[in-house]
Amino acid sequence: MAAKYVGKRIKRTEDPRLIKGLAHYVDDVRLPDTLHVAFVRSIYAHARITSIDVTEALKAPGVVAVYTGKDIATTVGPVPCAAALPDLKIPDYRVLATGKALFVGHPIAAVVATDRYLARDAADLISVDYEELPVAVDVEASAKGGPVIHEQFGSNIAYTLTSGEGDIEAALKSADHIVTQRMVHQRLAPVAMEGRGVLARYFPGEEELTLWSSTQIPHLMRTQVALMIGLPENKLRVITPEVGGGFGSKLNVYAEEALLAWISIQLGKPVKWIESRRENMQATIHGRAQVGTVEVGCKNDGTITGLRYNVVADLGAYHQLLTPAIPTLTGLMLSGAYRIPAIQMNVTGVFTNKMSTDAYRGAGRPEATYVVERAMDIVAAELKIDPVEVRRKNFPAKTEFPFHTATGLDYDSGDYEAALDKALNLSGYAKLRAEQAKARAAGKLIGIGMSSYVEICALGPSQAMPAGGWESATVRIEPTGTVTVLTGASPHGQGQETSFAQIAADELGVDLNAVTVIHGDTAIVQYGIGTFGSRATAVGGTAVLIAIQKLKEKAAKIAAHVLRCEASSLAFEGGRYSRPSAAAASAVSEPDVAVGEAPAGALPEPDTEGRSTLTIQEIALIAHIAKELPPDTEPGLSATYFFEPKNFTFPFGTHICVVEIDKETGETKFLRYVAVDDCGKVINPLLVDGQIHGGIVQAIGQALYEEVVYDEQGQLVTGELMDYALPKASQMPWFELDRTETPSPVNPLGVKGVGEAGTIGATPAVVNAIVDALSPYGVKHLDMPARPEAVWKLITG
Amino acid sequence: MKIEGTQELHAPRDRVYSALTNPGILQRCIPGCEALEKIGENLFAAMLKAGVGAIKGTFKGEVRLEDMRPPEHYRIVVEGKGGVGFAKGSADFDLEENDGATLIKYSGELQIGGTIAGVGQRMIQGAAKMMASRFFAALEAEVQRTTAIGEADLV
Repeated sequence: MAAKYVGKRIKRTEDPRLIKGLAHYVDDVRLPDTLHVAFVRSIYAHARITSIDVTEALKAPGVVAVYTGKDIATTVGPVPCAAALPDLKIPDYRVLATGKALFVGHPIAAVVATDRYLARDAADLISVDYEELPVAVDVEASAKGGPVIHEQFGSNIAYTLTSGEGDIEAALKSADHIVTQRMVHQRLAPVAMEGRGVLARYFPGEEELTLWSSTQIPHLMRTQVALMIGLPENKLRVITPEVGGGFGSKLNVYAEEALLAWISIQLGKPVKWIESRRENMQATIHGRAQVGTVEVGCKNDGTITGLRYNVVADLGAYHQLLTPAIPTLTGLMLSGAYRIPAIQMNVTGVFTNKMSTDAYRGAGRPEATYVVERAMDIVAAELKIDPVEVRRKNFPAKTEFPFHTATGLDYDSGDYEAALDKALNLSGYAKLRAEQAKARAAGKLIGIGMSSYVEICALGPSQAMPAGGWESATVRIEPTGTVTVLTGASPHGQGQETSFAQIAADELGVDLNAVTVIHGDTAIVQYGIGTFGSRATAVGGTAVLIAIQKLKEKAAKIAAHVLRCEASSLAFEGGRYSRPSAAAASAVSEPDVAVGEAPAGALPEPDTEGRSTLTIQEIALIAHIAKELPPDTEPGLSATYFFEPKNFTFPFGTHICVVEIDKETGETKFLRYVAVDDCGKVINPLLVDGQIHGGIVQAIGQALYEEVVYDEQGQLVTGELMDYALPKASQMPWFELDRTETPSPVNPLGVKGVGEAGTIGATPAVVNAIVDALSPYGVKHLDMPARPEAVWKLITG
Repeated sequence: MKIEGTQELHAPRDRVYSALTNPGILQRCIPGCEALEKIGENLFAAMLKAGVGAIKGTFKGEVRLEDMRPPEHYRIVVEGKGGVGFAKGSADFDLEENDGATLIKYSGELQIGGTIAGVGQRMIQGAAKMMASRFFAALEAEVQRTTAIGEADLV
């Protein structure tokens, strides 16, 4: 198939509407008679709710109803946790607090009013009496003892798990050196530009509910919310309009979604809630939040013999959808890009009086990559070997794939040395080291950091997933020749309306503009899993490709029938089927049937007399008119495919970062940032670059700026963007990007996925550069974020 | 969060002490204080409108005066909550004679929670300072007025 679109830097077809403000987010959906919901949220991290007085709120202007925990205790099911781990403690997480509030921001009451502001004002009139309880804030202390959050479990430990293969004790014993380092992966807030938002409309006559939600998983949400509120799943329609970013924070089913659905049924009217930024910081999931110690054994020549990571994971007060599963992804990726014969992770998941943690861009893999890539640098420093050589020494060769790791994975394909060498060349590594030596002699603090990462993408085979790891697509050609692609993936900024159209247009030989990609409406799109884990293109794009191939089998049968030849003898080129004799002749001399210009009220009758070629769009019309179909052929031209991948995919790459640290202020300034990523085959390089850019920015955010801070009373100190330091464009380096391309054998597109690669690869590169810059002061490690104050203290001792 | 400072008022110490423990005067001087009613011995019910930045709300709670040693010392204990959070704390006031004027030294702890705790931690110190300076400016005016008419308890 000649690739006219795939592989080209095509601008996103989504962008004009986004840039012009013509896109529709949940809050842009305006229905008559909509009521608005405001929440009363706990002001304490841990407290018994002794009384709630709603009298004044009910008398307030515009107020229609007020609901508290007692109203939903027996009518709305708990917030679901889909993670399955042995002996996992799962607390009963009600959509409004019943009895106790367990974190600041825990919803206690919902006020419904005719106007958003009246609802907010009335919420302030609700008087909640609390009896303060001692708090569990520090994750390490809470693992050991102190106040117990869920008394029925007897401690704050939700689970413990050991993973990995190989004899770790023997591996460490056989080492010439063992390096040990404690590392903190601070709690981060995903901060999607659009917060969460929910609109629920119940039709009492039809007993049908439509739920608009800013989510990454419309179908999974439909299933879960239907169960929570006891509505038949086929009476619930979830629509995901434009979504202004998710980063994993909308890979969830939240209390507010089920509660709004339930309220709409109670009142028989549409109800809406749009999350404020403060609510977003308090009550949308956070990410990371691990404290661990890594031990790495190595030989004198730099060969790694084994790695052990003992870690406590701060889960927050409750499990959201995947909360306890996130650290298990860390365990899977502890082999990094290296051959490590024995690996062990011992994780303890711990409840604390904070918002739940869950998937945030990378979801457990950034922690693993940070541990491994920091450890490689620490080993290099211990052995006084160049960090490049330690990495090179332990890479599996490209001929060793599929490569089995001691974490139980089989890496699909890779050429780690190629990416490393390309990054070294692009950065001029040898020259950089020479310049660094010169700068150091002149008293400047220059640091060079690198990271050779591998990540796990295209989640995943269904065996490895809580609710299916496949993805679905329906492709149909309408009577007028336009192509409709329905994807079960639910893109929310990744650009699949463009990239899936590229796949379809090339595969069908039609114009890109003839293709429309539809997603995010459970009444229109067949069941799907959603967009997360860098899976949409590798799994969902493959479903599109195979659905098209199925569609073309049928189209060829119809073409053969009309053209009076064998289907196997047909040639397909540029969207046109040709009889063998006509393929060589001037196929283009035949008139094209106008696409999308059918006269009003009538379909053009396809003229098939004496034709030797037919376009696939003409075949679609023939298939719909259905007068010239071969025997036993269904009318219409569409195909659906559910693609189940056999494995994950494993993108990789090397990032190199050069920083200069201001001795006077401790501030980190970027001098260079080079990233060579391999995400397999590339559908649209522009989209890939965009994903890498955004990923690196969020990684730098973690390395230098961001941290969700709770004080010792469990009060959220970083409650809005004035205090939570998101990276700004002016603070970012220029990204020098390049790629290597190692196709994945896991799917026929050969793609691996790229949504999280930047976030995973870049954080350790930045921290390694800072530690390298500070090495003249004997610094071996510093925890993130590397705030100027912390760096300055290391300089000044 | 620690709150401390000193303030000089141009009035005799007993006059200042009397004003500082007078609910009517306090209500007029505390910025945003809408009610301060005696509900017991040295115990008052208070309603305060206050805020930091864009977060404003009504706080209801209690004010208690303790450890009263006129005219040199007392402690104030406050506790209040509202829709945007809670505040609780205590402060010691020490009054020293200073050449006909009175030097007030205050020192205390303030704990806040809820939405206000997550909003501009860096601004809260500033907001507290501003409230203190408005409070003392108003108190200065009150003691001057009551000194002029020679009636400390006139409220």
